[in-house]
Amino acid sequence: MDIGALGVYICLFAALYFEVFLLISFFENRPAQKTTELPKRFPTVSIIVPSFNEEVTIAQTVHSLLTLDYPKDKLDIMIVDDGSTDATGAIGKKLALEHAQVHYLYKPNGGKYTALNLGIEASTAELVGCLDADSFTSSDALIEVVKRFEEDPGVMAIMPAMKVYRPKSMLERMQAVEYSFGVFYKKMFDNLAALNVLPGPFSLYKREVFEKIGLFHHAHNTEDMEIAFRMHAHGLKIVNAHTATVYTTVPKTVRALLKQRTRWSQGFLENLRDYKYMLLNPRYGNFGLLVLPFGLFAFFSGLYSALYVAYTVASRIINRGLDMWATQIPLHITTPHLNFFYVDTSMMMFTTVIVLCFTFVAIVLGNRIAQNKISVFSFISYFALFGFIAPIWLARAAWGAVRASPASWR
Amino acid sequence: MKDWRKYLLAFLITAAIFGTAFYVTARLDSARIAEIRATQETISIDLLSSETQFELLGSLDCSTIAQHPVLTDELNSLAEQLSFAESRLGTDSSDVINLKKQYSLLEIKDYLLMQQISQKCGTKPVSVLYFYSNAGDCTDCSRAGDVLTYLRETYPGLRVYSFDYNLDLSALQTLISLNKVKDTLPALVIGNKPPVYGFKSLDDMETLIPELKTMATSTTATSTNATSTQ
Repeated sequence: MDIGALGVYICLFAALYFEVFLLISFFENRPAQKTTELPKRFPTVSIIVPSFNEEVTIAQTVHSLLTLDYPKDKLDIMIVDDGSTDATGAIGKKLALEHAQVHYLYKPNGGKYTALNLGIEASTAELVGCLDADSFTSSDALIEVVKRFEEDPGVMAIMPAMKVYRPKSMLERMQAVEYSFGVFYKKMFDNLAALNVLPGPFSLYKREVFEKIGLFHHAHNTEDMEIAFRMHAHGLKIVNAHTATVYTTVPKTVRALLKQRTRWSQGFLENLRDYKYMLLNPRYGNFGLLVLPFGLFAFFSGLYSALYVAYTVASRIINRGLDMWATQIPLHITTPHLNFFYVDTSMMMFTTVIVLCFTFVAIVLGNRIAQNKISVFSFISYFALFGFIAPIWLARAAWGAVRASPASWR
Repeated sequence: MKDWRKYLLAFLITAAIFGTAFYVTARLDSARIAEIRATQETISIDLLSSETQFELLGSLDCSTIAQHPVLTDELNSLAEQLSFAESRLGTDSSDVINLKKQYSLLEIKDYLLMQQISQKCGTKPVSVLYFYSNAGDCTDCSRAGDVLTYLRETYPGLRVYSFDYNLDLSALQTLISLNKVKDTLPALVIGNKPPVYGFKSLDDMETLIPELKTMATSTTATSTNATSTQ
């Protein structure tokens, strides 16, 4: 066995180990079904909508918050305009005039974290949340989150289950499947008390979180990840409310997707560098022992496997071309063997198929948890595209982290 | 469940899955070897039958032989299977080496039988004995094998016999001595001519085998990969 293939086997083993571990967690503690119960108390809530040039989606985002099943006197919505140069400001002001719950704040452009911090400082609510201006909530999302806070007073922050808003193209459908996979592993990370991010779409915090550990940081443009790291560092509990659904719009072009994911991946690497003392540190439980090391391993194994496959395919094509040139054999189409004898039953093939099957199971379970419906075409899109696109953002993120060049937002 | 137990259980399950995959792969490879062995036995019986028939009658119905070349297709198919098994199990596999020995013996027997038929019937089959090495000392052998595979597919009448020069098989070493083939590989013995050494392109081969011009060509190319012609 060549050393390259051995590396791929190690990656496959680790990927399978991770998936098996998550499945054990799933069967050990299956996610509860949604109930119609209401919370005993409705705490005051501020939802901050940080906005920078979001004229297309901001009105819909705010309207989704206005339709939340929650007492109006307990919920206020803060649009924080981070120096938009489009019509976001005008729309925000109009919404504030029309709805007493909506407040419009303006600040010069300084990045999302500065907009969030302004909103937190301006708010006096018990719970402070964030909703990216490209996302929309289901009407019961806030009640579900509040119920989860009520179940366990020790919980300091909650993230919802995220779904892709009306995926149409193949690229969006790929992301829809990926988000379903995300629903599964986020729930399993919750079981392990090891959630590694509090995403922009509708994560809610108890006010005391900011009093204890401070406001959001720039954090390599991934403030939602850094604050989760910081909360783990201070022993503050984060959970997932899988019954609270939030819809998010996803990048529609490969270019936009690569930019977004490069930022996320590079942010992970750079935040991990900042919090390296947590890596493999039993003091931080499964977060330090499983989620961080496997996140790092997944990053490099994804990159390595993609490079290995690319190298193997490229070298075969080049060698084939050189052979054709040297032998002078004309290009001719060969019919594939239909005999089972020639089917690839190598260990590599088997283990790859097994890992893909486990991934498929995880996606299906994620769908069930989120009560989502994913079409066959979406699955095809995911398995056809993800393996080609993901390595590009991994490579860009690694390169960006090495050069310490900040990943851009857009 | 305590976390360390979960870590351990996940490891055991993962290891068991990998172990099962390894076992299934090994079983399927064994089944492949068994299939090749069965094919070889069939060819061996067919060859023995032809030889016996030849000896019994002293001569054959030459028209029948001309219409149905002896075991060419079966040997080519076997070469493909062996080539695939070699790529899966590696050239060092004892199973593969044993199968290659049997295959080489069958090739030699087929070659001798064709020569006998040729003498009796006055036919002039075009045969190529191809000697290769996959011990890493013959960089051109792969390309030489490609050319011969293509020729064999294009000209079904061309009989290509491929031999691993380093195979520890006395009959093969005798064939090598009789044809005075040196260890400068790849080496080709075309018909009864002296050995030709080194890589020969398709054009070179068409010059070396002028009979190809008058040979019938196949209408469809098949995906044979003659590696046992390397």
